[in-house]
Amino acid sequence: MDLFPLWLSLQVSFVATVFTLAVGVPVAWALGRRTFAGRDLLAALVVTPLVLPPTVLGYYLLVLVGRRGPVGRVLDSVGIELAFTWKGAVLAACVGSIPLLIRAAQAGFETVDRRLEAAARTLGRSEWSVFWSVTLPLAWRSVLAGAVLAFCRAFGDFGITLMVAGSIPGRTQTLPLAIYDHVQANRMPEANMLALVAAGLVIALLLGIGRLVRLRY
Amino acid sequence: MLSVILTKQLPGFTLDVRWDSRDAVTGLFGPSGSGKTLTLDCLAGLVRPDTGRIVLGERVLFDAAAGVDLAPRHRRLGYVFQGYALFPHLTVADNVAFGLGARPRAQRRRRAAEVLERLGLSALARRRPGELSGGERQRVALGRALAPEPALLLLDEPFSALDLPLRRTLRDDLARVLREWGTAAVIVTHDFTEAYRLADRIVVYDGGRVVQSAPRAELLWQPASEAVARIMGIPNVLHGTVVKATPDRIQLRWRGQTLEAVNSPVRSYLPPPGAPLAFFIRPEYVRLIRKDRVVADPRHHMNLMLGEVVADEDFGTTWTLRIRLDEPGPPAQGAFDLEVEVPHLVYEILEIERDRRWEFSIHRGSIHVLPA
Repeated sequence: MDLFPLWLSLQVSFVATVFTLAVGVPVAWALGRRTFAGRDLLAALVVTPLVLPPTVLGYYLLVLVGRRGPVGRVLDSVGIELAFTWKGAVLAACVGSIPLLIRAAQAGFETVDRRLEAAARTLGRSEWSVFWSVTLPLAWRSVLAGAVLAFCRAFGDFGITLMVAGSIPGRTQTLPLAIYDHVQANRMPEANMLALVAAGLVIALLLGIGRLVRLRY
Repeated sequence: MLSVILTKQLPGFTLDVRWDSRDAVTGLFGPSGSGKTLTLDCLAGLVRPDTGRIVLGERVLFDAAAGVDLAPRHRRLGYVFQGYALFPHLTVADNVAFGLGARPRAQRRRRAAEVLERLGLSALARRRPGELSGGERQRVALGRALAPEPALLLLDEPFSALDLPLRRTLRDDLARVLREWGTAAVIVTHDFTEAYRLADRIVVYDGGRVVQSAPRAELLWQPASEAVARIMGIPNVLHGTVVKATPDRIQLRWRGQTLEAVNSPVRSYLPPPGAPLAFFIRPEYVRLIRKDRVVADPRHHMNLMLGEVVADEDFGTTWTLRIRLDEPGPPAQGAFDLEVEVPHLVYEILEIERDRRWEFSIHRGSIHVLPA
């Protein structure tokens, strides 16, 4: 049995989660801690991937990063191709899952007592240091919970990935796409196997994170 | 030397204060919501004032006109927050060392250990704030603020998180720490006893303004106005009419009595005859005249009045008597005219519980005139 879709899905969702954290944590911090022009717009934008049909989202991404798209042309000039590659699947997974991370992390940052951050400032710490030594250590559980949710969402993405990366067996066919393919071709044992692996993995992750988040000082 | 001038407009509240202090410990005293904590936040740089200037010694911390606004981390102030705001994820030792970030590691550890030792916290070094008692938390917060050797210590209601018996012990404790470490401090409190016990100078706040700034003894005996006397919670704030005012005496009419008071030596106050006049009489300075003793010199007593104890309350070590004078007309303070405080022993010897009619006398030096 071909397990390539499983490995690809794990790789894509892992890389996607790393990018999601890198982009999502600063955005969550800004939304939870700062007031700035366009804050409401950003907050609304962050939720759109949750409510837009995945195919619509995928379509716009494709328009953006396709070879003739504005972003695609820039990337092309530095030798990066996103559309219909595994990197495109990473992008799709990122966009689909980043709202989950941002919302969880923002909620986490908002529960950190502002007086603690103020105390750190009066004790000589820079904003950067305040974040790493006070805000994040007190909110890391929420960030981690958000990252796990984002990982699971990335692992299960179907519509956006299909639009941006296609379903090329052995190249961009992730696990959800492979399951669909197996079912279409009436290969039920294979579909069963992959579905079981996917469900088991996600449930195990969520159970594990539930235990971790319940730990308290 | 600390000089503070600032205004800050918030929704529904305006802070507009100006005071300075050369004293080691300055108390900001006033009712809650009068702008004391906001002032501390402005001093620490956590809130940016609209206008003003804050100078600490030689250093200008804030100057709106000159565009100076030092970041909190460059102000070198130690802030002990209300409720302490200790870092819950760090041990006591790490909390205390938190402000020593700029120093080499070994030096940081040495300084933290030294501070813990001096505050008697060494045994708790590895605990987390969640495992400490209220008093211990206060010490850790003090240690954390003092460790980086701040130019000024800010304390916001340092005892509000503690229960009453502990407050007294820790008040004396804090007074000693401040004296020993020799760090100048600004303490915010709404409790006059606390302000008086800890501060050399007291700045009285009311509604976002400073109503008086004076050495603590001067404030205790010469509140600048009736408003200040009320904020301080002074009993027996009364209203009379001026009969005659000279630079050292003021004669006044109140409830059918003619009272003689000492005029304030520092701000001789000369209201015209007939002018309304507020004054207060400290309840512990009213004397009850013993009926069984003949007074040799009648001049020994002055401002004599006759009245009846209409109510009394036991405060443990003292009794508070409510006196109604033998005068027609409504009493000055609702059901009574005067509050008098006597120690338990006096209450028992004079058998006040049984004997309710008394003659009272008040020395002229114990009637304090409040300028309008």
